[in-house]
Amino acid sequence: MAVPYNRLLDLAKAQCRIFSLNFNPERLRLGNKILRQRLRGPSQAAWYPKKTVSFRDLQETYKHSGLTMFDEYEDDREEAIQIARLRGKGRPPKKRTAPELRSAKKKK
Amino acid sequence: MSQFRLKKLDLGGFVNTRILRDHTKRRTFEQFEPERQALRYTIRNTSLPQRVRAQAQLQLANMHSNTRSTQIKNRCVEGGTARSVIRAFRLGRYQFRMQALAGELPGVRKASW
Amino acid sequence: MSSKLQKDRLDSIGSKARLPRSVQAVYLRPLRRQAVYGLPVCDLQLRSYSVRNVEFFADFAVRAAYYLKLPVSGPIPLPRMVERWTVPRSNFVHKKSQENFERVTLRRLIQIKDGNPQVVQAWLAFLRKNAFYGVGMKANVWEHESLDVVENMDKSLPEVEKTLEPYLSQFGQRKDTKFHPSIPGILDSERFIAYKGPLTTVRGG
Repeated sequence: MAVPYNRLLDLAKAQCRIFSLNFNPERLRLGNKILRQRLRGPSQAAWYPKKTVSFRDLQETYKHSGLTMFDEYEDDREEAIQIARLRGKGRPPKKRTAPELRSAKKKK
Repeated sequence: MSQFRLKKLDLGGFVNTRILRDHTKRRTFEQFEPERQALRYTIRNTSLPQRVRAQAQLQLANMHSNTRSTQIKNRCVEGGTARSVIRAFRLGRYQFRMQALAGELPGVRKASW
Repeated sequence: MSSKLQKDRLDSIGSKARLPRSVQAVYLRPLRRQAVYGLPVCDLQLRSYSVRNVEFFADFAVRAAYYLKLPVSGPIPLPRMVERWTVPRSNFVHKKSQENFERVTLRRLIQIKDGNPQVVQAWLAFLRKNAFYGVGMKANVWEHESLDVVENMDKSLPEVEKTLEPYLSQFGQRKDTKFHPSIPGILDSERFIAYKGPLTTVRGG
């Protein structure tokens, strides 16, 4: 049984309207396949683990309430720096003209 | 590159320069993806005027290279290695082996068949 | 007389000695409801790396379904998923010495037949609340509507609109987009005017 082309066209049109598709009987390239693609950005950006709450953040938030907190790692670090400075092994002071000095050294 | 970088580090875990760089690329890609897709749609749509499509092509080509997904490289989350990274665990092969032998990866065990 | 003795002995079996485990297991098999229509409503897939966990939890799910009066078919063991990785033990020089690792995912499928959608949701919520360690769950739920769908949809429209309102009120253009002019402005710009394509003729210039 042959069905007239126009009827099939109407059917396709109604179908597209109901399911909100693009009605494109001439099969033009409308680039709709790009609109159909999902966005890959969010999954790509989530590759590396995000920063979580640290002890320092906790300290920052509760600073105003006047609580005293002890960060052992921080204390240890500061103590080590103190000892190093006493032994004369501390960080050298920052120089303003550091790049120039380095270039001057290189020339020699 | 530097214009895309975050002022404050938002990564936990292992961080080195290359991971930071890759993370910046990922964030940039995420940010510009809708724009890129819109331009790509304009280029592919043959019912639009040729001039518009050509201009979209130019615009897409003129976008910063870091907004491209091809710049992204999967790196090991634990050590920053770029080669032989196992996607399922996001780990390089050596980190994967160490963690698997330590039993830190659920379900993974030594195989022999 | 000997036959009576035999009967006594048989009766006292349960009290004197315990049954073999295999026979006990038959008695303790989970009860099931008979499906009347056999219309699948929900597919629950359980995944785990260990047999014990997944078997235990599948049994638990079937029992829970019985007490919620849901007919169940399963647990059906689905094909195992085996992933294998081969990594060199150390530097690339020692490529000849490699090590194999594998991960076997076991799957069980539990299908609920012709249950009320709300009861199915309650069952799923109960399973999620009592989730077992090391067992993942994935459910596909199908709902069936009566033929007067449109009427029901019309009835529920006001409620849906109310729930959507906070989201729709936020709908709009990004503030930091590059192009601010209005849509007619864009369409009338020289870029469009310059080219008299098929689309421009529709708008009449």
